[in-house]
Formats: sequence, structure tokens, C-alpha cells
Amino acid sequence: MKPNRSLLSLRFANIAGPALLLCIVCLGLVPRAGAAEAAAWSIKVEPVQAEEGQLPPDFSMAIYEELLAQLKKTGQFQQVYRSGDHQADGVPNLLVLRMTLLNFERGNQTERAVTTVKGATKVQVHLKVSSRDGNTLVEKDVQGTVRLFGENLKATYALAKHIAETLRDSSIPAPGAAKAAGQ
Amino acid sequence: MLTVLENTRRPKYGRKTLCAALLLLLMSLFCASLQAQTAGATSASPAAPGVRATHVLGLEGVKRNHHGTLTVQASGLNFAAKNTSGSITIASIQDVFTSQDSHQTGGKVLTVAKMGVPYGGGRFLSLFSHEKVDSLTLEYRDANGALHGAIFSMPLGQADLLKKQLVDLGAHASIPPMQSQADKKDEGGTKQ
Repeated sequence: MKPNRSLLSLRFANIAGPALLLCIVCLGLVPRAGAAEAAAWSIKVEPVQAEEGQLPPDFSMAIYEELLAQLKKTGQFQQVYRSGDHQADGVPNLLVLRMTLLNFERGNQTERAVTTVKGATKVQVHLKVSSRDGNTLVEKDVQGTVRLFGENLKATYALAKHIAETLRDSSIPAPGAAKAAGQ
Repeated sequence: MLTVLENTRRPKYGRKTLCAALLLLLMSLFCASLQAQTAGATSASPAAPGVRATHVLGLEGVKRNHHGTLTVQASGLNFAAKNTSGSITIASIQDVFTSQDSHQTGGKVLTVAKMGVPYGGGRFLSLFSHEKVDSLTLEYRDANGALHGAIFSMPLGQADLLKKQLVDLGAHASIPPMQSQADKKDEGGTKQ
């Protein structure tokens, strides 16, 4: 007697479905190695360093605040400290994020809306993340741009997001390994 | 004769074109009313107790893009919005900056509407649906010494007045506040 095909497929679906679901859940629960290592660090963010008159103060502060918000959102670091925060003084595994302005072009929202191709606002910074002992762990140029929709300050949001992504994708070693590499 | 009659019956412009033109006209009127409102807000008297402002970012406990009223008091700068408020004490202010920017009015609704206007009419409308705004940036430190930055945007000409009030109360500003137009006029009057 031949087994009923529809019954077999139903049984297969009953087993395979939950198994697949279990696999997905397990994959979601397993933390990425890089994220686990970075979670041992805390980070302190310094405002953008720029020559006088190169970067408007509202942009400078917006980059700083947006970056703090993005870093907190990613959850990559144990704590995110602001510049000058006394609470960060006693933290052992502390990274310091510094930014130096490379380029700033202030666009115009109306120009963007009318022409589509002109009036973009661009901010480019040189990013440097180093440990307390001066060992540089991440160094990269990052840019934020607003090309079509949104106000000029939206470029700071794009920049902060790119910086957070750069840190997430970079393989920051565990605190012990970083110290050994520095020595 | 028959052909002449047919020509006269045919509409010169299509129905779609007429609709587009009507939509364009309505949106132009809407933009013009926005411009008029902006002009009215700009000419508001500086003696007003508070300034209508938008919290762009940075003030603790207040959500972004909340509209409210900024007031300068002896204790510091207060921002009061619907169901929420925040303040920065004078002593904690490290620096005060003002700047100007222009942005598109009408928000997301008008942006989407402009995208729907045919024949590039939306771009044409963008030429008239923008306004200049002042922005006030404050650098301040909390009790732990942590640096914060708060940005507010407000109608043109208001940021300098607020900065002047803050500096008069003892807030530190690396760039001294500019004299308002009214002050300049007064000075001119006394010289004559």
C-alpha cells in the first residue's frame, strides 16, 4: 500500500516549520563576535575639532548630539559619555572618539527642491577612536550628505549614522587584546 | 463650415491641464499665505514675553521638533511646549551662538503635494514656499561637567534678542551679541 502523499507532506511541514523557526530564533540570539568585544568598552565623544569659522556652531553641536544619540541607539558600548563628563574619569575600558573637520559645504534646501542636483550639504570628518593609553583602534574619513529632501542639519544625522555604522562594522579588539597590541 | 464648428467645439486645453493649473494656483495662494504669516511673525514686537520657537535637538526631556515658547528668566532659558518643558540655567551656559538659515515651509504635507503636481509645478512652488529662520545654539554643561548642545529655531530677528537677554543676565558668549535694528536706529537718532 502506497503512503498518502498529502499526509507525508503535512507531516514534513509540521516538523520543518518549527525547526526553521527555532533556527531563526537561535541565529538572532547568538551575538556577533565583534559586538560582544565592543560591548566591553565604554566610549566618550568629543565635539568636532575645526578651525575657527569653518564649521557653524549649530552644525558642530548637531553632529555631537546626533552622534551620542546614534551610539546609544546601537547599544554597541556599555556606556556612552559626553565630553567633560567626570563620571568617565574612573572607567577602565574607555575609548575616546575624536573628530576633525575635513570639509564642509553648506547647501540650500530651496536649491535642492528646485534643481534636484544642486544645493547639497556635505560634512566630512576624520574619525579617530583611541583607547585611554593612546592606542588608535579605528581611523577613517566619514561623510554625511543631504542631497534631496530635508533641512541642512539633516547632513549631521547622516554623518552620525555613518560613524555609528563604521564603528559597528569595524573589528574593535577586546580591552585586554588592545592593551597587549599597544605594548 | 462644418469644420469650423468642430474646431470651436474642441476645448483649447485638456481637462488635466486645467486641473493642474487650478491646483498650482491654489498651492501658490497657500504659499503666499504662509509667507504673509512669516512676515507677520518677523515683525512681532521684541517686548513679547516669549518667543515662539521649535526645539531642534539637545534639550534634555524635550522631544525633537516640538513647538513651544522660549522665555529668558533670571534663572535661565525656559522652553515650554504642550505637556513638556525644559530649562537651562544661566550658570551652566558655556556659549551662545546665533545664525540664520532658510528652509522649506509646509512640512511633509506640502512636500508630498509638490511631488504630485505635474509638469514640474512642484519645483516652481518650491521657489515661493521657503522662509528664513534664526537659530539659537547653546553650549552648556550639566552637574557632572558633561557638555550638551541645544538648538532652537525661531522667526527671523528673534535669536539676537534672546542672546542679548541671556548675556545681560550673565551667560558667557564668545561672540558678543549684535545690536538690534531698533538700538541702531536709536543711536542714529541721538547723534542727530
